[in-house]
Amino acid sequence: MQSVVIAGYARSPFHLANKGALARVRPDDLTAQVIRGLIGKTGVNPAEIEDLIVGCAFPEGEQGLNVARLIGLLADLPISVGGMTVNRFCGSSMSGIHYAMGQIAIGAGEVFICAGVESMSRVPMMGFNPMPNPALAQKSAVYMSMGETAENVAAKYQISRADQEALAVESQKRAAAAREAGKFADEIVTIETKGGPVSEDGTIRPETTAETLAGLKPAFDAQGSVTAGTSSPLTDGASAVLVTTEDYARKNNLPILARIKAVSISGCAPETMGLGPILSSQKAMARAGITAADLDVVELNEAFASQALACIKDLGLDSAKTNIDGGAIAIGHPLGATGARIVGKAASLLKREGGKYALASQCIGGGQGIATVLEAVE
Amino acid sequence: MSDSIKKVCVIGAGTMGAGIAAQVANAGVPVLLLDIVPKDGANRNAIAEGAVAKMLKTEPAPFMSKAAAKLVETGNIEDHLGKVAECDWVIEAVIERLDIKQGLYAKLEAVKRDGTAVSSNTSTIPLANLVEGRSDAFKRDFLITHFFNPPRYMRLLEIVTGPETDAGVAAKVEAFADVAMGKTVVKAKDTPGFIANRIGTYWIQLGINAAFEMGLSVELADAIAGKPMGVPKTGIFGLVDLVGIDLMPHLQASLTSTLPQDDPYHAIAIDHPLIGRMIADGYTGRKGKGGFYRLNKEAGRRKEAIDLATGEYRPAIKAAGPRGSAAKGDLKALAESKGDIGAYAWAILGGTLAYAAALVPAAASDVVAVDDAMKLGYNWKAGPFEMIDKLGAKYLADRLEAEGKPVPEMLKIAGTRTFYRVENGKRQFLGLDGEYHDVVRPEGVLRLADVKLASKPLIKNASAALWDVGDGVVCLEFTGKMNALDGEVMKLIVQAIPLVASQYKALVVYNDADAFSAGANLGLALFAINIAAYGEIEKLVAGGQMAYKGLKYAPFPVVGAPAGLAVGGGCEILLHCDAVQAHAELYTGLVECGVGLIPGWGGNGEMLDRARKAKMMPKGPMPPVAKVFETVSTATVSRSAAQAKELLFLRPDDGITMNRDRLLYDAKQKALSMVEGYTPPEAPEFRLPGASGHEALNMAVDGFHKRGMATDYDVVVSNELATVLSGGEADVVDTVTEQELLKLEREAFMRLVHDKRTIARVEHMLETGKPLRN
Repeated sequence: MQSVVIAGYARSPFHLANKGALARVRPDDLTAQVIRGLIGKTGVNPAEIEDLIVGCAFPEGEQGLNVARLIGLLADLPISVGGMTVNRFCGSSMSGIHYAMGQIAIGAGEVFICAGVESMSRVPMMGFNPMPNPALAQKSAVYMSMGETAENVAAKYQISRADQEALAVESQKRAAAAREAGKFADEIVTIETKGGPVSEDGTIRPETTAETLAGLKPAFDAQGSVTAGTSSPLTDGASAVLVTTEDYARKNNLPILARIKAVSISGCAPETMGLGPILSSQKAMARAGITAADLDVVELNEAFASQALACIKDLGLDSAKTNIDGGAIAIGHPLGATGARIVGKAASLLKREGGKYALASQCIGGGQGIATVLEAVE
Repeated sequence: MSDSIKKVCVIGAGTMGAGIAAQVANAGVPVLLLDIVPKDGANRNAIAEGAVAKMLKTEPAPFMSKAAAKLVETGNIEDHLGKVAECDWVIEAVIERLDIKQGLYAKLEAVKRDGTAVSSNTSTIPLANLVEGRSDAFKRDFLITHFFNPPRYMRLLEIVTGPETDAGVAAKVEAFADVAMGKTVVKAKDTPGFIANRIGTYWIQLGINAAFEMGLSVELADAIAGKPMGVPKTGIFGLVDLVGIDLMPHLQASLTSTLPQDDPYHAIAIDHPLIGRMIADGYTGRKGKGGFYRLNKEAGRRKEAIDLATGEYRPAIKAAGPRGSAAKGDLKALAESKGDIGAYAWAILGGTLAYAAALVPAAASDVVAVDDAMKLGYNWKAGPFEMIDKLGAKYLADRLEAEGKPVPEMLKIAGTRTFYRVENGKRQFLGLDGEYHDVVRPEGVLRLADVKLASKPLIKNASAALWDVGDGVVCLEFTGKMNALDGEVMKLIVQAIPLVASQYKALVVYNDADAFSAGANLGLALFAINIAAYGEIEKLVAGGQMAYKGLKYAPFPVVGAPAGLAVGGGCEILLHCDAVQAHAELYTGLVECGVGLIPGWGGNGEMLDRARKAKMMPKGPMPPVAKVFETVSTATVSRSAAQAKELLFLRPDDGITMNRDRLLYDAKQKALSMVEGYTPPEAPEFRLPGASGHEALNMAVDGFHKRGMATDYDVVVSNELATVLSGGEADVVDTVTEQELLKLEREAFMRLVHDKRTIARVEHMLETGKPLRN
């Protein structure tokens, strides 16, 4: 099989939905700017891109009408480049990367941009026309709110509120330190908005302490333990990675970050969807022939502190190596954009921190997990 | 005339200045708000900006909408005074110091255009002093405009002009204040305290003095000099707590230093050591540690009152105030009550009314100005001369004379007559010349009360009446308590339709009351439930649906003209009107869920219809349903007419009238403008999401329930609302007619009526006035 690499990663700054600096930016415009940024920093020849794949959890409204094609045109990609929108909720843009890898394997192209976007300001969660099937609602928890699933995981794994808050504080601390040290500078593309250029995340709250979190009310269940402080915030953002064959990247002097070693997808119970990464990560690691002990870098999406802790525990992950620059609780979780962000981030951390293997994994509403194992390229 | 003021500048961003600026913005007119540059800090506009930010958090809100707040441009008088050249009216609301005001005017004179009005919001400084040293041109443009706090809600504006003020400039300001800002203008003379505060301060001082002298409890004093006198139920001590006890010495000092030596105020302006001590210790009223009343937090929020003799707080008592007719507005009975009640009432009434009577013509040119000032500036139900009419001018004069007190000239002129009378259907007042003169309403003011004096209703029953308001327009008036709606109202509507169709051009739904309608008569409904007369309730629901749809499809235009509260069925009737001309202070909403019900008179369909037509509404079957569900299930009530538009209770092109007195006239004009070529609307047909949409709404409610934001019964009531709004069993490809939706509404309503928890909610609301969260 051809070796496939991540040959570049870029993202927009992440901002809180509705009140943040990107609330008034259309998601198609936002993603187009990120893609221009990615092309600019990698130097890839746009004419050789096979397809633009955009992950999006709620592809309607301004994210609708096969937004990938629209973004390609907005970004002035050559007319010959395709465009496809992928929906697997939070796993959308990671699925896009997996799809590109598959296309490469069947000889259907060499160069792909795999992007993701979500404007949670402009397209609401559940979309504009939520119309659940009443019969399925009776039979399954598939429509359960994400917050409730986080409560279920906390209850099942007996994860205390204090432990959740400790993870949230650590996430905020790491993200704030990383920003302070300029460690996001290489990934963030400045976004031009009507209100001026935006080049820093607006989600991180460095002032967060265990005490401030302890004062918050439960966000989803009056008797529960999950609060807004231990959940990822509603976020606006876009991300993109360049996926190519290793040969192509070398030939064209693209900045190779890591090789994609193995991928997987798995289902799980909808009511504890936060546990999705466990099985998917185990499958991907098995396919890569490694164990958790072999991992040097882990990007585990913090949809909620409770599910992240449960996954860390069951997978036997090393907290020190997990979400080194902070996780989604601090940085934010623009649903469709997260997959490309954590794969791109894991790849660039592997390069920055050194080591051999990295894992990027996340849970998916409705009960799924998705995982990608990366390998350092010599 | 008001068209000539296109931009206003307010200088001074304190409570009054900022509030005045907000009201200008509420009128849709851009306003520049300036204050001084703060001594420290980099932001030179910080004071004015801070004032706007603070107002956005203040309750009751100074702004009627967020859009209004955006019309306020902030700045400072050092950098931005030049922008005054863009303004047509400059309102000065800076600190009450003559030197500072004069200094500011000197600077203003250099930058303002000729003809740009400049007015001071001073409450104490004579106009003659303010304009000292200014040019003739400046004096021509200068006047005093004295607003009351809070400027959005207090309707009074006292205007004082000087001998050199240009009549055109004053008229321009007056017209703008009236039509655009909604104020009732009372012209006052250039005398200290003008009208309202001069009488008000006298009245408060008198009440405080008498309570001290007679050794009354503050509770008893307020029980006498409150509601029974037709003044706000806080009474005098409660009122002082509200406005701030520390304000009293300032008012006193200002009046004693400016009033002529022979003014009776000097004799009563005494300092009470207890009050001085309270202020020094921080007991300045509700804004401070407490006042004459306080909630003792250490004693479990116990209500306490101060003992005027000892100066110590003690648990509040329920005073045995006036009873019988003396408690219900019979001022003579009140003044003649035995013991402390009569003595205290007379001390206040006799003193205050005599003082007020003596102010004509010194401070006000006629009795109407004095009465308007006290009604609109102090929220008295009746003005001093209207109170004298109740008491009897002769009675007052005789009693004053018997006590050896001077009898004011106006009382002598009245003799045995009243100050007001109705002659040939016209309200008239007694002038200084001893003759009666018509009370003349300004152009564009039409009061139903005036119509009612001059004519008989076309039809009338126990709950509603129909009046001919001229030019072929008929007015439907609700007449029940809180203008509650019942079968009689519906009956009258049904009778009105053929009458208006055959003999008139249009119908306006309007009444003079503070509350347009509190909705269906719940007491009546509860009675029917208690005797299990469910058939009667269903008849009332169906009858209301029929009556409202009758209005909607009548062959003539129907214009709703609400002011104040318009909730439940009172909101639903507006939803069925062809157009609405609303007073800016409109508090409307569908609040039925609060009492365990859902809108039952066609409100659901009307809201769905306008939601789907709303600008920016996303496509698909769910967004309008979700929007209406959110608004109705949470019983959201607008805080202004502007907000009622955002909530879809009003249409984008419905009119808003700022001045309450102009509402009926404006509504009538709107109705007449629609007569030519009028065709009734066509019945809407809906595409609704059915069971899938219902499921989505239930899921949302479930989330609120789990979070503790919706009660158990909220879930049940919301489910019924969702049934109606989602179209019941309809499939998304089906068309749901208006009649089908009405049937769903009736059925869901009746299911809730049968639930004990609804009954508990209704009972609780009737008993406490508050919703039961069961």
